[in-house]
Amino acid sequence: MKNSTINLRDLLILVADPNSYLRRVVNGMLRGFGANKVMEVDNATGLFQALSSQKVDILLCDMRLPPHGGLKLTRTIRRNADNENRTIPILLMSSDTSESTVKNARDAGANIVVAKPMSPSGLYDRLGWIVFNPRPFVDCATYFGPDRRFKIEGYPGGVGRRKGDKIIEVGAEAGPSLDQDDIDSLFSNARSGQD
Amino acid sequence: MANKQGNSEATIFFADTRFERLARRPGGISREEALERAQTAVEEMKTDFTDWIDQQYSELSASLADIAKDPGDTDALERAQQKCTYLRDVGSTMGYTLVTFVATTLCDILEAYIAGATYDKNVIDCHMDAFLLARTDEYRHRRPEEVPELANGLLRVVEVASIVPPASPKD
Repeated sequence: MKNSTINLRDLLILVADPNSYLRRVVNGMLRGFGANKVMEVDNATGLFQALSSQKVDILLCDMRLPPHGGLKLTRTIRRNADNENRTIPILLMSSDTSESTVKNARDAGANIVVAKPMSPSGLYDRLGWIVFNPRPFVDCATYFGPDRRFKIEGYPGGVGRRKGDKIIEVGAEAGPSLDQDDIDSLFSNARSGQD
Repeated sequence: MANKQGNSEATIFFADTRFERLARRPGGISREEALERAQTAVEEMKTDFTDWIDQQYSELSASLADIAKDPGDTDALERAQQKCTYLRDVGSTMGYTLVTFVATTLCDILEAYIAGATYDKNVIDCHMDAFLLARTDEYRHRRPEEVPELANGLLRVVEVASIVPPASPKD
């Protein structure tokens, strides 16, 4: 994905977040990526007005968008069978990327979660992931949304970060490192087929 | 795209959205260039970021003053928490890593207060002092690991101050 190019020109991107500065930052990033149509709203009412009056191509929505939050909003968009935006890609932005939050986002029908504070590479790679790893939609009695049975083979661009991630501290070097002769002697049996 | 409410069958299909189709068109800019341009856009916004921080800090202080008068003022608690999340959510993006860290710990405390933890003005004051330090040019780029006394102190404060007493049993 790192070498794939995404073309955002003429795609209408809707950014929904109550924080005007964050909207401005995301808008700036998206325009840097080549987008030329970015709309901003600060609450769910504005979001639904935008969805009903414009052909929005992708939604970037805050997990805590007033008044009821991004999860409920995602469910509302996905579960209304008469809604022509039902299959719109939804990227939820959240400062809480704990496993339970990400699972809730997945079960609500979001395509992906991006951690706040976000970086340009984090946002770009998640957009790329939606573009180049399209998932089928599942429509059943209890769920409508992207197929939840998927596996991310590592975070795109190495930018993933979860609140529960632990930093592993590596101890200081205690003595001289092995030189090549030592390494060769360790593997000599295996290399000669004796092990 | 039928609605499957009340039906045990599942339909699986590819939506092939306009976004997916058009974003794959040739003619886009490379990832490297896209990131460089986006970073430039972020850099250009930094000129007024300290003004924005100061405005948020001022509004946060006003809400915290209301909480000091009445720790049960849920509107003030929610206003303070909102300002705090705003600071947390953009701090690191704009190069103010330590602002995000301090805002994160204060958010945790305010959440605990909303949930019923006991209010302590000293806890709030030490966070506001930490904010003032974190916005300075000398400290803003530092990661929590680089200021262990401050970081561990705030984490310890969160640990102690966020204890929510169990709800009293109803008759």
